[in-house]
Amino acid sequence: MRFQLAALSLRRHASRTLLAVLGVAVSAAMLLDMVMLATGMRQSFASLLGRNGFTIRVSPRGTLPFDTEATIGQARDAAAAIKRITGVTAVAPVLGSTIHVLGGANPVTAFALGVDPAVQGDYQLLQGQHPTANALVASDALLRATGAGIGDTLDVAVGFDPQLRTYTGRRRVVVSGRARFTYLSADDRAAALQLASVQALGGADRTDRVSLFMVRTAPNVDPEAARVAVERTLPRVTALSTAGAVAEAEHRLSYFRQLAFILGAVSLIVGFLLVTTIVTVSVNERIGEIAIMRAIGVSRSHVVHQIVIEGIGLSLTGAAAGLILGLFTAKWLNSILRGFPGLPDAIDFFLFQPNSAFRALALLVASGIAAGIYPAWRAASLPISATLREEAVG
Amino acid sequence: MLFVPLVLAAALTPNPVWAQRIDSIPSWAAVVRTIAIDERLAADAGLRVGDLVVLSGEPGRASGDTVRISAIVRRRADPSEVARSEYRIRMHLGQLQEIIGYGDRVDRYAIATTGGVAADSALRQINAKAFGFHAYPSREIAVETSKTFAVVSRFHRAIGMITIVASATFLLCIMLLKVDERRRDVAAMRLMGISRATVVRTVMLESSFVALLGSLFGVGLGFVTSALVNAHYQAVYRTPLRFAIITPGTVTYSVLLSLVLGIGAGALAARRLARTPPLTLFGR
Repeated sequence: MRFQLAALSLRRHASRTLLAVLGVAVSAAMLLDMVMLATGMRQSFASLLGRNGFTIRVSPRGTLPFDTEATIGQARDAAAAIKRITGVTAVAPVLGSTIHVLGGANPVTAFALGVDPAVQGDYQLLQGQHPTANALVASDALLRATGAGIGDTLDVAVGFDPQLRTYTGRRRVVVSGRARFTYLSADDRAAALQLASVQALGGADRTDRVSLFMVRTAPNVDPEAARVAVERTLPRVTALSTAGAVAEAEHRLSYFRQLAFILGAVSLIVGFLLVTTIVTVSVNERIGEIAIMRAIGVSRSHVVHQIVIEGIGLSLTGAAAGLILGLFTAKWLNSILRGFPGLPDAIDFFLFQPNSAFRALALLVASGIAAGIYPAWRAASLPISATLREEAVG
Repeated sequence: MLFVPLVLAAALTPNPVWAQRIDSIPSWAAVVRTIAIDERLAADAGLRVGDLVVLSGEPGRASGDTVRISAIVRRRADPSEVARSEYRIRMHLGQLQEIIGYGDRVDRYAIATTGGVAADSALRQINAKAFGFHAYPSREIAVETSKTFAVVSRFHRAIGMITIVASATFLLCIMLLKVDERRRDVAAMRLMGISRATVVRTVMLESSFVALLGSLFGVGLGFVTSALVNAHYQAVYRTPLRFAIITPGTVTYSVLLSLVLGIGAGALAARRLARTPPLTLFGR
């Protein structure tokens, strides 16, 4: 009965109800998107860093991995020292460099990673073999740019001496496979070679040096304790746990998180105000009806319930529509932000997490309930005879 | 003892240099070279003009170069540096080449020309003659480095569109309800013989006034909010960059949009009311 009366009341002003539902839906969509933005980046980035079980990144002191061209010297000794730390199960050295693939009309420039193929976590082999001494695995973008395929030989160099007019660190390597690079975008031209090959290409400046170590710890070991142990063992490095890296990324991208918080809060307030206004106006219009209902014996709680149900109906319908609308807009907004240059493929700014999403929508519905309570209680508490007289006389 | 990585802004290399503060002046350091450091480094490391520091290419290296801080500089409001928390120093080119063992090399040259044709001619000549070099016009580099901001700008526009849809719906709803509340007044006016057109114009005038007042309040709120946003993010990212700017175009656009929506909603509701028989509006 209460549900039926509430539905009839909403249907009486169909256009107004439709507009209110639309307003709540847009607010709900915005709220959902902002929740997805606030939690998505953290989850997506943490998941990316946690791949392959590497929990710690070790870079030259005071720098973040690949933030500068600084390198760690005496890399072999450093790797051995890290391996001796309790709980460390693997150490993957990585040396970054720029290479030029020669042979075409213009050299093709690419990012090269020197890795130990046995423990690397930088790429996923899609086809072919891991790199041997004179081989590399390349990203699809690099293969496209050079027109090369698996089995082809490339002429690569790491630098150019303008005075001698010669390329430096030149070497011929075979493409042994194609790979997807975990921390790079699909458009990045990239190659992975054996660490020793990249060090040799770089000459004396790169001998026994790496850009970073990725460290894998045992599942039962606290990565933070291992991180502290690494920094204690090697004073010239900075060790960053996955949690630390996520915190650093959050700091750099705090703008988006705070924007999400502010817009989410505004959406919630707008949704609340909309439902409050609609229910209040609707109640004010029906003061006479409510007084009659009370006069014929309908209880105060019945009246309150009926009006609150109207608020819930508006909020629930709006939230359901907002969920669908929000998923579409999130996809659209995500596609815009994925245009950031060099963003790894695995990073998503908007990530749908059912728990967070439904909590946010539940909050919106709860605000809808709260919005209906005051006008409902006020209407049900009006003096019956006086209200009837005023409404009848006008 | 303090070690801080410094990424050099001396048009040289992104290699970091580490600075170690020293508390006494060595006798041999009577004539030391000078460097400039940025405000952020000065604040975090407690450095002042006149302090001596040792610079080295690697942290803790014994053979560093003792230099004196001669200036503390403020960074430019450069959006491309906003999220980077590195420190910067400015020093003599030769000194930096020595410290990091870079030899007689530089990463790039910035070339000043008289502009226009001279710039194009210089570009052509360098690219034709200097084998191994490539010269780019500044605008090309600006386009390349501003890709990130183009994405952020597109994102802001998209968020703006959603916000406009949400606020337009809200505004329409409120205006319709507001006009609907005047049912009895409109009925009375119609019964007194006032024409439908006058009723519609009166209600529209009223809704325009409400929309205008709301817009002006919104503009004021926008100025306050943008001041807060700027103060907050300038503190977070330690930059003089202005994050939110209200331009006359923005104000005109938002005021016009809310006026159009307000007047439109008012007109819609007023026409509906004016067409309804007065006694029906009275609920009889």
